[in-house]
Amino acid sequence: MELYVVLKVIWAVLLGVLFCGLAVMVGMDMGVGTLLNFVGKNDKERRVALNIIGPHWDGNQVWFILGGGAIFAAFPTLYATSFSVFYVVMILLLFSMIMRPVAFEYRSKAAGSWRGIWDIGFLISGAVPMIVYGAAFGNVMEGVGYHYSWTGQYFQDESFLSYLLNPFAVMCGVLALSMSIAQGGTMLMLRGEEPIYGRARKAALGGSIVAIILFAVGGLWVSHLNGFAFTAPVDPNMPATPLTGQTVAVQAGAWMNNYHTYPLLWALPILGFVGMLGNLLMNAAGKPVVAWWSGALAWIGVIFTTGASMFPFLMPSSTNPNQSLTVWNATGSAYNLGWMLFFALVFTPAIIAYTSWCYYVMRGKVKLSSITDDSHSY
Amino acid sequence: MGKLFKFIGLAAALALALFLAVIAGDYGPWYFAWLVGTTMIVLIAAAGAVMFDAQEANSNGKV
Amino acid sequence: MPLIDPSVVDLSRLQFALTALYHFLFVPLTLGMTFLLCAMETTYVITGKEIYKEMTHFWGKLFGINFAIGVATGLTMEFEFGTNWSMYSHFVGDVFGTPLAIEGLMAFFMESTFIGLMFFGWDRLSRPGHLAVTYLTALGSNLSALWILVANGFMQNPQGASFDADTMRMQFNSFVSLVFSEDAQAKFVHTSIAGFVTGALFVMGISAFYILRKQHMALAARSFRVAALFGIISSLAVVTLGDALGRLDYLVQPTKIAAIEGLWEDSNAHGSATSAPWLLFALPNDATQTNAAEIGVPYVLTPLITHSMDTPIPGLLSLEQQAGPRILNGIKAINALQQYGVTHDAASLATFKQYENDMGYGFLAQKNAPNQDLTQITPANQDAIVAQTEKDTIPNVFVTFWAFRIMMFLGFYFVALFAFAAYYSLRNELEKHPLLLKAALWSIPLPILACEFGWITAEAGRQPWSVYGWLPTFQAASSHPVGYMVFSLIGFAALYSAFIAAELYLMFKFARLGPQDHHAEPTVGGGATMFGKPQLADKSWQ
Repeated sequence: MELYVVLKVIWAVLLGVLFCGLAVMVGMDMGVGTLLNFVGKNDKERRVALNIIGPHWDGNQVWFILGGGAIFAAFPTLYATSFSVFYVVMILLLFSMIMRPVAFEYRSKAAGSWRGIWDIGFLISGAVPMIVYGAAFGNVMEGVGYHYSWTGQYFQDESFLSYLLNPFAVMCGVLALSMSIAQGGTMLMLRGEEPIYGRARKAALGGSIVAIILFAVGGLWVSHLNGFAFTAPVDPNMPATPLTGQTVAVQAGAWMNNYHTYPLLWALPILGFVGMLGNLLMNAAGKPVVAWWSGALAWIGVIFTTGASMFPFLMPSSTNPNQSLTVWNATGSAYNLGWMLFFALVFTPAIIAYTSWCYYVMRGKVKLSSITDDSHSY
Repeated sequence: MGKLFKFIGLAAALALALFLAVIAGDYGPWYFAWLVGTTMIVLIAAAGAVMFDAQEANSNGKV
Repeated sequence: MPLIDPSVVDLSRLQFALTALYHFLFVPLTLGMTFLLCAMETTYVITGKEIYKEMTHFWGKLFGINFAIGVATGLTMEFEFGTNWSMYSHFVGDVFGTPLAIEGLMAFFMESTFIGLMFFGWDRLSRPGHLAVTYLTALGSNLSALWILVANGFMQNPQGASFDADTMRMQFNSFVSLVFSEDAQAKFVHTSIAGFVTGALFVMGISAFYILRKQHMALAARSFRVAALFGIISSLAVVTLGDALGRLDYLVQPTKIAAIEGLWEDSNAHGSATSAPWLLFALPNDATQTNAAEIGVPYVLTPLITHSMDTPIPGLLSLEQQAGPRILNGIKAINALQQYGVTHDAASLATFKQYENDMGYGFLAQKNAPNQDLTQITPANQDAIVAQTEKDTIPNVFVTFWAFRIMMFLGFYFVALFAFAAYYSLRNELEKHPLLLKAALWSIPLPILACEFGWITAEAGRQPWSVYGWLPTFQAASSHPVGYMVFSLIGFAALYSAFIAAELYLMFKFARLGPQDHHAEPTVGGGATMFGKPQLADKSWQ
């Protein structure tokens, strides 16, 4: 295999890893935000809940920013097209996301109705991004209406309502939300005490159950969904342009082709179910540490299940399938992918090391007394 | 033994710093200027604070 | 192919400018405050005096209020290239996206992870351990400035990539040229240090407020000293780097430097270049392409810009004329490229390669071609289109001229202010000079203003290009309907206005409150409302 193809495949896998990091770390914080008004019945309890992720939310959020930057660099045409065709929801996502850092920093710096306003902000900035995140995957699987002009400029062929009100995408959105609630609830159990612990447990159990059901429903749905498949051989080493080189057809059930060809891939959905079940059972048993890692595995299972089913498609076009964005035609140049890989290899271990150190330093249960003593608490 | 490791660690850090300084000095003179300049700005500002304490102690001593 | 709607391009530019300028209200303070906190905490670790810990705590609190909005509005910037500048992202994503990704990996993770420890780790870390965390936060936030300015450097002076006809985009080919681009280097240092000035004046101004009121004197006098020394060196460095950037613009962006100096005619048009005046004041008129009410200082312009005594600087009128042949070549290049896209034949590729360096000018002519189609240019309409496009090759002179001047005058004012402040602080005579203290207090917003005008100078002066000489802004935007832009603009305006109101409310509240009580917990029986005065144990601010 040529070096360029190897780099393309590596970056497709890294894209999956990035989505997993984003889902696990940001999803957890989003879950805490969504649950804030439920697990905290009064201001003090809410402050405890917020301070559980207080020292970490900012670092976690970088997964989201890195997601934007890495897609920009490694998949420039995908970045250019996807963010523009989903403009309305992308802007809604941004509006809800930018509320969050501000809510964290400002909520506890004044009293009274001020805090109530930011609590609503936490609910919006927790739930909306997760629904959009899941729904984006759903919409991409169904195909998006766009085509390119000769310069590489995209043009949208469908109204924004078609992706906003797409039932399959909405289901994927709720799946993502329920998984984030399970993960956020687990984190609150991990570092919270009663009564937050009990309420978070209830929410986490509910989240896992809904996630298991929706993941199963989603699997059945996808097997009947219109998928995309190459009808002529493609050169994976092709120059990265969507304008030429691919012939693609829309076929019902095509998203199952990879699973038929490589039955080993069934391990991925199984991993997803095992993770969700593990999260459910361990939380029921009162073992949030194991449950947290199970929840992380569940995300890995779900995201790579989707990726394996679509590979090598990244964002197929429903109106001009030949111009679908794939791993072969949407990446950066070999030189760029090489340099990016170098930086990823150098910095990812460093990031994991100091993030772990940060969690280690801040370990232990968060108590009300420690919050009122610390002037920097949220 | 512990001292030896400390020495080796510090020597490695020094070698790395020298290496980065040479690279920055050769290819990026302004980057090099920023590294040196920022360190200087921070240290001079800190020294100003220390000097403030010394001045205060001095004037208190005279009274 | 659908036509590019100029009003969508204008609205996209408006939105990007508003969100970037808004983001940049908070960034400079972050860049500077982090290193000021380093200076204060270093003193704490060296001397062991609690007052310096209290200082770090207090200024850290104000820094945190600012940092949050900086992070939040930065999210918008990371995604806006994709949501609103799709052609741009496709065209240069292979080289421009890379520094942004590295910024995430190297800088954002560092800054955001350690800032959590910086705020929450006081009791869990040793003194040197916490100091190291503070330094890493400062380094992280400045590294993020480095990488975004490396990316911006590519827009100003594209190096490290070349155009590839098969993928229809610029492809990355030299990491070293990209990162060590002179524009990126000088601009990073200029911007970072401008942040230092902003942070220093912020700390100095609020300290001056306390000194005027004789409150929190121990903290205020020390903070003033630290900030004044920090500021005097920084403000001098900013001016030095500004000069370096001006010379760089002269070398690689002649239209920008001519617009900055309001230079319509060549500098030697009226006699020798040596005596050409540097304009202190003028009212450039973009319609008539002349200046009104010029007040100039002779013999300054040429040595200032060219660092020589007699090198002529080309004016905007001759730069427009020089663009003429490039526009004609560019039209040939784009037509050959379009042909190559269909046929992939060697002949059109060879034609394209011949005129490749002027392809950006071909894109520029597209705006004025019939139906935005270069193939519809005939010998009959060619001259008119080229003449019209020539006028499009220069930026808006009034905006560039004045944005630069406001920034520069403010820069020199800061040098003067910090010089007096440092002098009187070192002599411990601040209380005898209330006027200086008042000036420091009222000057707090000025560095932020200067930073904003610096951004306008750099980016408005780059027009009509997104990527200088390669991709016009007109071509770069996403093909959205106007309705999308109205929706997002209204949303941004509403959200951002609410944020700035909340930020100012908290900043004023905590700055007035002073360093003693950091808690906002209402006292028993009295909860404060959002707009009411919070009831606090410490009444010293009232």
